[in-house]
Amino acid sequence: MPQRKTLISIVILLVIGLHAVPVLYHSERGTLWPFMQWAMYKNSRRPGPIDVHQRRILAITSQGQTDTVTPHLLGLSITVLKQRYLSTIGTGDLSPAPELIERLNRHRDDPVVELRLEGETFTVTDTGIVRTDDPVVTYRADLSRSR
Amino acid sequence: MSFTPVSRWIDRWNAYWFPPTPTLHLAVCRIVAVAAQLFWFFPDLDEHKNLLVKNPEFIEPQLIVRAISAIVPREVFFTPDAFTFLYWVTFVAGIAALVGFFTRTSLFVFCAGTWIFIAHLFSYGDRHHTEALFGIFLMLLAFAPSGESLSVDALIRRRRRPANDVSDAPGTSEMAIWPLKVIHVLFALSYFSAGISKLLHSGVRWLNGYTLQGHTFGDALERGHPLGIWLAQQHSLAVALSVFTILLEVFFFVSLFLPRWAPLFFLGALAFQVGLFATAGYDFFQHMVLLTLLLFFLYPEWWRSWLSSRITADEDVARIEARVESG
Repeated sequence: MPQRKTLISIVILLVIGLHAVPVLYHSERGTLWPFMQWAMYKNSRRPGPIDVHQRRILAITSQGQTDTVTPHLLGLSITVLKQRYLSTIGTGDLSPAPELIERLNRHRDDPVVELRLEGETFTVTDTGIVRTDDPVVTYRADLSRSR
Repeated sequence: MSFTPVSRWIDRWNAYWFPPTPTLHLAVCRIVAVAAQLFWFFPDLDEHKNLLVKNPEFIEPQLIVRAISAIVPREVFFTPDAFTFLYWVTFVAGIAALVGFFTRTSLFVFCAGTWIFIAHLFSYGDRHHTEALFGIFLMLLAFAPSGESLSVDALIRRRRRPANDVSDAPGTSEMAIWPLKVIHVLFALSYFSAGISKLLHSGVRWLNGYTLQGHTFGDALERGHPLGIWLAQQHSLAVALSVFTILLEVFFFVSLFLPRWAPLFFLGALAFQVGLFATAGYDFFQHMVLLTLLLFFLYPEWWRSWLSSRITADEDVARIEARVESG
């Protein structure tokens, strides 16, 4: 029994101690699952109007079919879709658009030729929630960029 | 000279981690945790196949995935066929772990399969915290006597026992509580880390209400949670809930030193997790399962004494009523 206790004590110390690794070893902090850094939602917001954007990218194929770009369609998670494409293209920066089209066209016969980003901004006001439509951002694969 | 203090520390360590505990409690934990993983949190095979087909490379491979890739070539292991096979092996091992057949081995295989699926999912530039503590708990169960009770293994052991051996006392073991205690410590660590990082990164501005309103509004709107959309418009309530969040996260560790009060901390944390889901859709269901297990099995005296006091009170009432009727 003492031997088993020693072994389990080592397991306990290891499991607890390994949680220090992602904190100390920053370059690997995202790749050591299940030993993770737990700094979640640490960013704060200045006092003022609260607004959020809801955005989606529509992919239009050469035959005119329109698909909403979803994590499943893209083969990536919603977080990557947001960080890499929705947020960036939402600011008017179209640099990730060719890569997005290339990804979408990997397994399709009818290629995507145009991307259209649509969105709305919702703002909390004293009288309720106000919705405003954001300007549409369009990217055509063959015509470079146009807005 | 220094032997006595060291042995005293060892005694304290053993008294904390290894007190004699009924193995029945750990068996119930095994059944609940494995059933939850099997029938609620089990990997979505189609999602994994889709990732494998649409991504020739990992974006940010997890250590587990890199370790596997170092041994088995990616084109052999990380394929839809291999993952389908792994899926069914994991499922069968999960069923065996649930009924307690070759419990430790089946738990280990079940957990290893689960870890591979989660590590694979998080190797494409995204990761979440929901599965981590639960995954660790499942693995710890494989190192503890979680199949000593309520298991096929226990049944087989009883049948093999000599006929003249009538000892059938409910089993206790010094090894039957440490997995729950480890999870308690990890909850304390993770909550503290989450709370203190908010304070260090944002200071008291995190408590201004606008921060919580902003986080809640964005996620509630996207996930369709009307309660969160309502909360995002209640500034004073958001300030109060921000203070509650920081207090709970930063001071949850106090429950490690106050076992009598620990159930209240577990209830508070459970309410916190349920509230996060109801308002913004943060689906920490694995945390909810673990907190419920801690609530009932880490310090079970509170609900036992509450239950026995209720039964005694009911018996007293019945006795008085019987006396009144007969008198």
